[in-house]
Amino acid sequence: MSLTELMSNAGLSRYAEVALLLFFFAFVIIVWRVFSPSRKQLLERQARLPLDDDHASPSRPSAE
Amino acid sequence: MSDSGSPGAATAGARLDSFSYDDVVVRKFLWATIIWGLVGFLMGLIVAIQMAFPAFNLAPWFAFGRLRPLHTNAVIFAFAGNAIFTGLYYSTQRLLKARMFSDTLSKVHFWGWQAIIVSAALTLPFGFTQAKEYAELEWPIDIAIAIVWVIFAVNVIGTLVRRRERHIYVAIWFYIASIITVAILHIFNNLVIPAGPLKSYSIYAGVQDAFMQWWYGHNAVAFFLTTPFLGLMYYFMPKAAEGPVFSYRLSIVHFWTLVFMYIWAGPHHLHYTALPEWASTLGMLFSVMLWAPSWGGMINGLLTLRGAWHKVIDDPVLKFMVVAITGYGMATFEGPMLSVKSVNALAHYTDWIVAHVHTGALSWNGFLTFGMIYWLAPRLFQAPLFSKKLAEAHFWIASFGIILYVVAIYSAGVTQGLMWRAFDETGRLAYPDFVETVARLVPMYWVRVAGGSLYIVGAILFAYNIFRTWKARPVTYEVPVVKAPPLARVSAPPAHAPAPVPAGAWARFVSLGWHRKWEGLPITFTVLTTVAVVVASLFEIIPTFLIKSNVPTIASVKPLTPLELAGRDLYIREGCFNCHSQMVRPFRYETERYGDYSKPGESVYEHPFLWGSRRIGPDLAREGGKYPDLWHVRHFENPRAISPKSIMPAYRHLLTNEMDFDGIQARVDAMVMLGVPYGEAVTGAPAMARRQAAEVAASIVQGGGESGFESKEIVAMIAYMQRLGRDAQQVVLGTNAAKHVHVDSVAPARAPAAPGGSR
Repeated sequence: MSLTELMSNAGLSRYAEVALLLFFFAFVIIVWRVFSPSRKQLLERQARLPLDDDHASPSRPSAE
Repeated sequence: MSDSGSPGAATAGARLDSFSYDDVVVRKFLWATIIWGLVGFLMGLIVAIQMAFPAFNLAPWFAFGRLRPLHTNAVIFAFAGNAIFTGLYYSTQRLLKARMFSDTLSKVHFWGWQAIIVSAALTLPFGFTQAKEYAELEWPIDIAIAIVWVIFAVNVIGTLVRRRERHIYVAIWFYIASIITVAILHIFNNLVIPAGPLKSYSIYAGVQDAFMQWWYGHNAVAFFLTTPFLGLMYYFMPKAAEGPVFSYRLSIVHFWTLVFMYIWAGPHHLHYTALPEWASTLGMLFSVMLWAPSWGGMINGLLTLRGAWHKVIDDPVLKFMVVAITGYGMATFEGPMLSVKSVNALAHYTDWIVAHVHTGALSWNGFLTFGMIYWLAPRLFQAPLFSKKLAEAHFWIASFGIILYVVAIYSAGVTQGLMWRAFDETGRLAYPDFVETVARLVPMYWVRVAGGSLYIVGAILFAYNIFRTWKARPVTYEVPVVKAPPLARVSAPPAHAPAPVPAGAWARFVSLGWHRKWEGLPITFTVLTTVAVVVASLFEIIPTFLIKSNVPTIASVKPLTPLELAGRDLYIREGCFNCHSQMVRPFRYETERYGDYSKPGESVYEHPFLWGSRRIGPDLAREGGKYPDLWHVRHFENPRAISPKSIMPAYRHLLTNEMDFDGIQARVDAMVMLGVPYGEAVTGAPAMARRQAAEVAASIVQGGGESGFESKEIVAMIAYMQRLGRDAQQVVLGTNAAKHVHVDSVAPARAPAAPGGSR
């Protein structure tokens, strides 16, 4: 029995719709969370992470 | 959160770790980027000249069909790949406040990747190829890629685990998604059965192989040329602009939308082919939806410069980045547009696609890399940039080069697309001779040569500038020691935003700390990203494997004879698929020109599929029987002797190379392993091939040609050419003629007298 035959008989077609719904709701939850006001401050601090390392700490040079 | 971020926020008495970043490997990747960039651009210039001036196909190993994959592999995996690693190794360490997990793994990654690039350069020009775009490298190299990639992944994820910064910045999300997805794509598209040390056949055939390949091809663009570079953009753009990204929220939505959507869009590369219509429509819909996140990301990148636009005037780094992000916007506007079927009908197989790709590659990937390296070089080499003026000159010369390139090639694409579909007032093709539509493009190909040359001149200035910057480096590099507190085991709630205890279970669910923990768990995050990508991939690809009715079989389609199979392998070796499609679309202007449109059932034994993606020459799906054998001999010997305006390279070596008959058995055996019903050929493939070779050679002599070709490669190639499309024609004949054609006896019916004319 080939893979094609095996899969044809497995009755999996419903799963596509299930996946679509799961993806859609996952996406809605992400957007909701990202835009919830309680996270504003946190995200603003996180946005500055790339700028943090410029003045990360007192550094002391050493030879490589 | 409060225990990390800036070390100043550490609570009194907390232990501070001292560590330094590994910039040695970053410098190595930076040099590799520059060197391979120059090589890749030069290969591009060579193939551009070969299209405008075919005599420049100087040798079998120096012909367009073999060098074009070398160009694409060099710019994608060598130039862009090393650029990604440069920026990733620099930014990841700093964003996570941790040295790379292992210096040894970093070194193995670096040298392993360069060895893979060298092995590509040593195999592709000699015809070792899997014939799948951007996945041409043969199976031993594929295994090496997988190993090196896993080493890289372990190194990055190990660094995540050891990080001293609780929150993982969005750039790193893009990196992780890229690493995971590229691994999945690479492994599944390269599943093959070896037929020799550097020869293999894809385990998929026809429609399924096409589907896998363009799931891979599209997502190679997405997860090799887009998401890692977006990660770089989200780190280096704020660095260069000296301010945070315009909207961090938008960047998070940008990330998740791309991860969810990109993976579905692959089938838009196969519109109007023998792919099932539902798949094609699905690909189109997801591609069009991609407009939103892509433009959201572009706007986010550009608006990072809000209030800092004046800096762009003086700063070549920002100039490069602004054009790069604009290029991202243009390419991602055009991509969804090209995925709309009616637009695709015009653009597919033409230079329009080539122009689209180069808009993205030259500006988005190229310019972002240049901008990033101009920013990095003074920091990595601890010396000021040698010349800002030279960098400005690079910017303007390269920008002008891009404009020349894309304007010429867009017009070439539209011109050829319109000529293919033009009918005259009597209802016949206005340009029935394919070569007319090619000759019209040659002036534009010269403009491309000029544009590409300018881009290379810019790149040489760039390399020189960085070289001089490096020359001014200190005797020993300073290695700053960074101090940061180690990561606490459990994430604490934000200190200066004490959240009131929410009422109700739902409110607690949406606002409490579960998501902060979740974000803080790199492994969990990685697994979830993988799930998103895998699930989407499965739902896109599996239906063609599991629903039998998607690939209706055609009774008259039989496997190739051993000699034809050998000929097909020569077709693959010479890279013919780079210029010739084998897929007639169901349009009147296609069926008038080539013959009946292609069906999915025709390619059930095609390991790998050879549908092609560009028609620099005509489609060959219905080539069998169009011309006599002798015509093919003369045409391969010197295409311009038959068709003066042809730009096809000459393949004289096929007339002189000895055919390796004994090697055919291993190839037939590999095909049998893949389930191709070969019957008698399982034991006697070489003898069968010799018999058919003698027949082809006799027909050449009969047509007035020289004798002695029965032992040369040309007979295998001709046997394959004459077989193309013959099985499907028998469906039409099938009602009144022979219903069953024995695979062993299929020497295609000899073509009638030469039609004479050029093509």
